[in-house]
Amino acid sequence: MWRYIIKRVFIALMLVFVVTSIVFLVIHLIPGDPAMLLLSGGGVDPAPEVVDAMRRRLGLDLPIWTQYINYVTGILQGDFGTSFQDDHPVAEEIAKRLPRTIELILAATALSILIGVPLGILAALQHGKYVDRTLALGAGLMLSVPVFVTGTLMVLLFAQELRWVPAGGFVAFSRDPVQHLIFLLMPAATIAIGFSAAIFRMTRTTVLETLKRDWVRTARAKGLPRSVVIRRHVVRNAMGPVMTVIGLQMGTLLGGTVLVEYVFNWPGLSGFLVVAVESRDYPEVQGIILVISFLFIMLNLLVDLLYSVLDPRIRLE
Amino acid sequence: MLNIDAKYRNILPPLIGVALVFLLALLAPFITGHDPVHMSISERMAPPSMEHLLGQDNYGRDIFSRLLYGARVSIAVALFSALSAGILGITIGIIGGYFGGIAELITVRLADIILSFPPILLALLIVTILGPGVETLGLVLTILYMPGYARVAYGETLSMRQLEFVEAARALGSPTWRILALTILPNILGPLIVQFSLTVSSAVLIESGLSFLGLGVVPPDPSWGLMIREARAYMVYTPMPLLWPCIALTITVLAVNSLCDALRDFYDPRAVSTNFLANLAKTLIYAPIAKDYSQIDAQKAESALLSTSGLRTEFVTPKGRIRASNDVSFTVAPGETVALVGESGSGKTITGLSVLGLVPEPLGKMTSGQVALRSKSDEIICIEELDDEGLQQVRGDEIAMVFQEPMSSLNPVYPVGEQIAESLRYHRKISRPQALLTAVDLLESVGISDPAKRIKDYPHQMSGGMQQRVMIAMALSCSPSLIIADEPTTALDVTIQAQILELLRNIRNQENRSFGMLFITHNLGVVAEIADRVLVMYCGRIVESGPVSNLFRSPAHPYTKGLLASIPHIDHSSGDRQPLYAIPGTVPALDELPPGCAFAPRCNLAIEACVQELPELEVVGDGHWSRCPRWRELRG
Repeated sequence: MWRYIIKRVFIALMLVFVVTSIVFLVIHLIPGDPAMLLLSGGGVDPAPEVVDAMRRRLGLDLPIWTQYINYVTGILQGDFGTSFQDDHPVAEEIAKRLPRTIELILAATALSILIGVPLGILAALQHGKYVDRTLALGAGLMLSVPVFVTGTLMVLLFAQELRWVPAGGFVAFSRDPVQHLIFLLMPAATIAIGFSAAIFRMTRTTVLETLKRDWVRTARAKGLPRSVVIRRHVVRNAMGPVMTVIGLQMGTLLGGTVLVEYVFNWPGLSGFLVVAVESRDYPEVQGIILVISFLFIMLNLLVDLLYSVLDPRIRLE
Repeated sequence: MLNIDAKYRNILPPLIGVALVFLLALLAPFITGHDPVHMSISERMAPPSMEHLLGQDNYGRDIFSRLLYGARVSIAVALFSALSAGILGITIGIIGGYFGGIAELITVRLADIILSFPPILLALLIVTILGPGVETLGLVLTILYMPGYARVAYGETLSMRQLEFVEAARALGSPTWRILALTILPNILGPLIVQFSLTVSSAVLIESGLSFLGLGVVPPDPSWGLMIREARAYMVYTPMPLLWPCIALTITVLAVNSLCDALRDFYDPRAVSTNFLANLAKTLIYAPIAKDYSQIDAQKAESALLSTSGLRTEFVTPKGRIRASNDVSFTVAPGETVALVGESGSGKTITGLSVLGLVPEPLGKMTSGQVALRSKSDEIICIEELDDEGLQQVRGDEIAMVFQEPMSSLNPVYPVGEQIAESLRYHRKISRPQALLTAVDLLESVGISDPAKRIKDYPHQMSGGMQQRVMIAMALSCSPSLIIADEPTTALDVTIQAQILELLRNIRNQENRSFGMLFITHNLGVVAEIADRVLVMYCGRIVESGPVSNLFRSPAHPYTKGLLASIPHIDHSSGDRQPLYAIPGTVPALDELPPGCAFAPRCNLAIEACVQELPELEVVGDGHWSRCPRWRELRG
């Protein structure tokens, strides 16, 4: 068990190191002078003094090893540099916005699990019947609507036409808990439409696979009631793989919230990323991407460890 | 009428959908005469007209033509990136998979790292540096999708590398590039085509998403994402300019996604498919249950523990309905061990499962026959008439089952004690701690040392023999009057097999446990050791049955005789090895059974009558039947 944990943690740390290096390298790997590239646009070449200033500002005038060491020591001290626009420390802004993105992801995941898992089990148990086919069709459709389309249409319908909820925005939970949750509802529901469909499919497939397992036949041969067979010998066994996929998909949501936060003006980290990219504020973009990648890797690690708790074969290895 | 192979039927509709979208995009200049970027301020937000089918947007541009040209941009970006990423990724993957070593390390590990990144983030990182635009999109998406291809190509190549025809090409001295391009590539194309369609769908989504954020296609070029972005500003006044690109985008993604699903089903039939079973479900029309009484020994049936008559179990397969077991009638007396012998596919396991109502539905079903069981309280239970609840009370309590593969028959996530206790908790209604205490006793009785400790073990911590002892303990837990043992020793080592047989024999001989046993096996040696009576099955029917000594001494069916002759045999007096006998021919497929005796094609005694009609069961000795009209000649 401990060997397994240590191995997983080690792999995760290696991955953090590699990702950090890649984010550093991207600006150097792209052909052309990075300072020039960042300042170009609109068809006019920037003045040489401006490019020089940018180069100094990014430390691009230093040897690449010095740059790399500065960059890594900065990150280790929680220093992600300062914003181009207002010289504000990037780390501060990230710290303020990150919890909101995490909150949105957790809310969306909870909602998706509540919808996707029970329906997936239901569809698998009704395999091939009307309920199953209808649900599978619905899931296929929901997976095909892009998240910003759903979001925009929901704003149009529920905020503009029906006026049930505000079109978007944010209030701190400490200020007005009810209003906070109302603002949270629409973006969370938007993500949940696609995510619950993915969870539904995964659950359905896994439960179907599990139903064919020999131990399910053993459980039936023991004379256990159907509900007990399903609960103890099918669902319990299927939850391991399902939770893994949910965990991994949550990781992808870390990137996917970009569009949803933008549509609903949710002041999280991902929405901030769009603003940073628009203004080509490289330190900000770099910082945000690093933080999201760390989270992503940590989440994968957590899923791995959780899986080992759910499956004793891994736990005791 | 178009006559299309059923294989392709599920691919065709989504393929037509995708082709239609591509065609509309390709032919855009011929379909509409309007320039998608031509502005006309005086006609801002004009409603639909004959001239402008879907109306005009906030700059007075024709929405219909922007939709068509938007498709061009989406598809061009998607195809370009899917193709370029495909070429690069497949090359890397094949090389990594074929050569291994450093090539493998670089290609696959690198791909893993890129794949561990949320895709849109990497896209945004590059857009920051290069600025938005169609060219940036193409580059970003190529980098993004390359690892996916590389991983698929790598995995497939790895499994191909050692196959015979690849080895053969290598031995024939084909140059490596030829092997890679002409031998390996065509054979791994299936999964790569699936990957291609997945990539196209994802690229359409990311292109439109980035354009929606204003970071993809640069205005005034048309793109669906961009159209949605612009129409959002005035959607309260006229929602249609917003809805059209939404609909176009959704339909396109839906078409490509369903094509992905269909292709995946096509290339990977192992995956759980919606279509296949859904279609099968429609064809499930079973014959009504017919009361089909066959000759069973009336006297025996009366005192029997279990008696089946005319048991028929059918399965629906792609080739049609097959009878896995047909007209199977037999009895098991209290305390008696009856062996059910036959090759794999002869229907013996299905017969065992039918007795307990455990035939895997919906594909299989017992369609006629009766199963009567004398319960512990001395009542006759007609098992085929029981509902689910009735069956639950019989299973585990009256009849218990021991399966072939103990490893997969035990649930990996519960300790074995829990799994033994389960039966007791539901049938005896006792508490969990009490049931666990009984489980300890049961483990001890099946010869597991230190049982109090072992009940906490998980199945994977035990050896195969131990696992089978656990299965036997589980079967014994509620003191059933009948145990069905389905090849309980087949999956075990030979020495362990002997121990398990010994255990079963000992338990059966204990005074306080008297149970009948239906012992399913293909091993005649095992039969001789454990059984009182034997039933020989061939192609779903019982062809001979009788007391074990009679049947072994003078078999009355050529199939039984052939089986006995194929047991390896060493003549102890001379030490000579006898040549091993093999029954000529092969077992016919169950969907192509001859009308007469199924064994006739392989039988050297067969006469015209054997081929024409099914032989009746004939009494050939005391309690000994055979389904062979020529048993006298056989014994003669």
